[in-house]
Amino acid sequence: MRQIAIYGKGGIGKSTISANVAAALAEKGLITWYVGCDPKSDGSMTLLRGQRAQAFLEMMKGTGQGKPYEVAVGYGGVRCVEVGGPLAGVGCAGRGIIVAVQALSKDHFSKENIDVIIYDVPGDVVCGGFAAPLRERYADEVYIVTSGEYLSLYAANNIAKGLRNLNVKLGGIICNSREVEGERNVVAEFASQIGTRMIAFIPRDPVVRECENQGMTVIECAPASAQASAYRSLAEAMMRNKDFALPRPMEPEDIRALLRGSMA
Amino acid sequence: MTEVLHPRPNPIVAAMYTLRDLEAEVVVMHGPAGCGFMASRRLEEAGVRVVTTGMREGDLIFGAEEKLVRVLAQVEQEFHPRLVGIVGTCASMIIGENLDSAIKKAGLKAKVLAVDTHGCAGPNTSGAIRTLEVAAQQGVISQEEYLRQKEMLTRATLIEADRGLTSRRYLEPHPGATKLSVALEIVRALRQGKRVSVTLNAKKETAFGFADVMRAVEYARSRVGGETLHLGNLSTEIGLPRIRRYAREIQRDLKEADVELALITGGLDEYPVAGERAARFLERERADLRIFAGLPHAVPGITPEDILVTDQPRELRNYIDRGFAKSVGEINTHAMVMSAHGILKNELGETIRQIVDGGMA
Repeated sequence: MRQIAIYGKGGIGKSTISANVAAALAEKGLITWYVGCDPKSDGSMTLLRGQRAQAFLEMMKGTGQGKPYEVAVGYGGVRCVEVGGPLAGVGCAGRGIIVAVQALSKDHFSKENIDVIIYDVPGDVVCGGFAAPLRERYADEVYIVTSGEYLSLYAANNIAKGLRNLNVKLGGIICNSREVEGERNVVAEFASQIGTRMIAFIPRDPVVRECENQGMTVIECAPASAQASAYRSLAEAMMRNKDFALPRPMEPEDIRALLRGSMA
Repeated sequence: MTEVLHPRPNPIVAAMYTLRDLEAEVVVMHGPAGCGFMASRRLEEAGVRVVTTGMREGDLIFGAEEKLVRVLAQVEQEFHPRLVGIVGTCASMIIGENLDSAIKKAGLKAKVLAVDTHGCAGPNTSGAIRTLEVAAQQGVISQEEYLRQKEMLTRATLIEADRGLTSRRYLEPHPGATKLSVALEIVRALRQGKRVSVTLNAKKETAFGFADVMRAVEYARSRVGGETLHLGNLSTEIGLPRIRRYAREIQRDLKEADVELALITGGLDEYPVAGERAARFLERERADLRIFAGLPHAVPGITPEDILVTDQPRELRNYIDRGFAKSVGEINTHAMVMSAHGILKNELGETIRQIVDGGMA
């Protein structure tokens, strides 16, 4: 069983990539789980035709303790789990991820026949809770999503620091294009500097929004599009990937230098 | 700073005790059921009602404000208190619970002191200081009283770090010297006509336990002769009403036992400065044998010839290791004094009485 965690700056497109990769893997016949770790629980909506999966923690919180969690099944048979969590300004989302991942692992992941689990992890490795999917027994492969913009690269570098602290290997950098000048080269260079490689370059395409508005992944909604091919290639590259390394994070100042170099 | 490994009190428990001193009738622990359990039991013996919101795993994730609101409403309904304290715990404070919002929602008639401290907030005294600060903000005590007590607590922390429980990395509990050896020395000195001083430098209610040494020494003097000199931090004019009451009750019992205080060194919450006053007084006064009860290490200038009486086995280890071989432990003091309204007999006192009455020595 492959257990893959997708990290990256908030708003960079982790959920879109995670859902499309999950859909692409499911299409190939792999038993695939999508685990959305964001408290707002909307990552799996495009796999579920716009429906919201019941949040795992909400189920645990209510009277349903001991009651089995009903896993929503989406496009291509992808099992969709949303961790859920507190309202903004209340409680601790990080603790929620720890508890949910532990419970899911015990009640589902260890008992069911699964080929791939994709953890769509929020924003950044900001605390122990957000790093929970990386604990040894859970996700063991990480991909970082970034664009060629400074803040995305800065966040990606920070995540690399977290991985180094946790001794977790990085499988590569996914560039989710913002159509920044020289983006492909900048991200490829960043990847190489931190000791990994750019595993995919996902172009920016309006079809992504159109499909999302229909409550679907691109794989389902526009299967013949170039964008769908890009996601399929990424999914294949991930499955084939044997190239994992502990990242060597950069100094933030060097990221700026890298970006200045790309402008020249 | 020494990295201290042995268990020691924390800000949560200090906050609970301070709320008791402020005469809060109910203390709500906002946290898991077991948090502060042993301290809660003690405080209940002193008449304080301690309740818990009993946070569970899910409350860490989603917050437990509703639970706190519910518990506060129940507290009002059950106990009709005038003053309620809420004490934060590690669990509720790390997740950032909003105590004030819960108080507002519960709409209590009682005055509520929300103490947002927790176990990682610093030395135990920081919990007491935070409680007093909130009490001053709410008008329960004056700003002057807050500042005075803050000063005392800050000094106490420094004394502990300098020569008390936080001055050593690890302290193995020690039972102390035997009461018999020490009591024999006291009675012999009196029998030989020597002058024995007893200095009480105790913390709040523990004085109910330690003051018995004064009574016992005075009793021995009345039977075998010698001279005595008594001093202690028993001012009835300093501190919160509850603390002054302790001092009054102790003074009443001392008077009844014919103990005359040659000097009152300060109030019961002033042991860090009262110790210094006691030291200055003893420098001028001759004493052949000196006894210090309560927190002897807060008195500067104690020597290995002195008899030290305290209640904690780790404190005893600290004293013995520093060469104070004549350190004895009244280990049960804290457990006994919680609901006291007068001096309680202690083991050293009883041993002295037995020697005198039984013709030993």
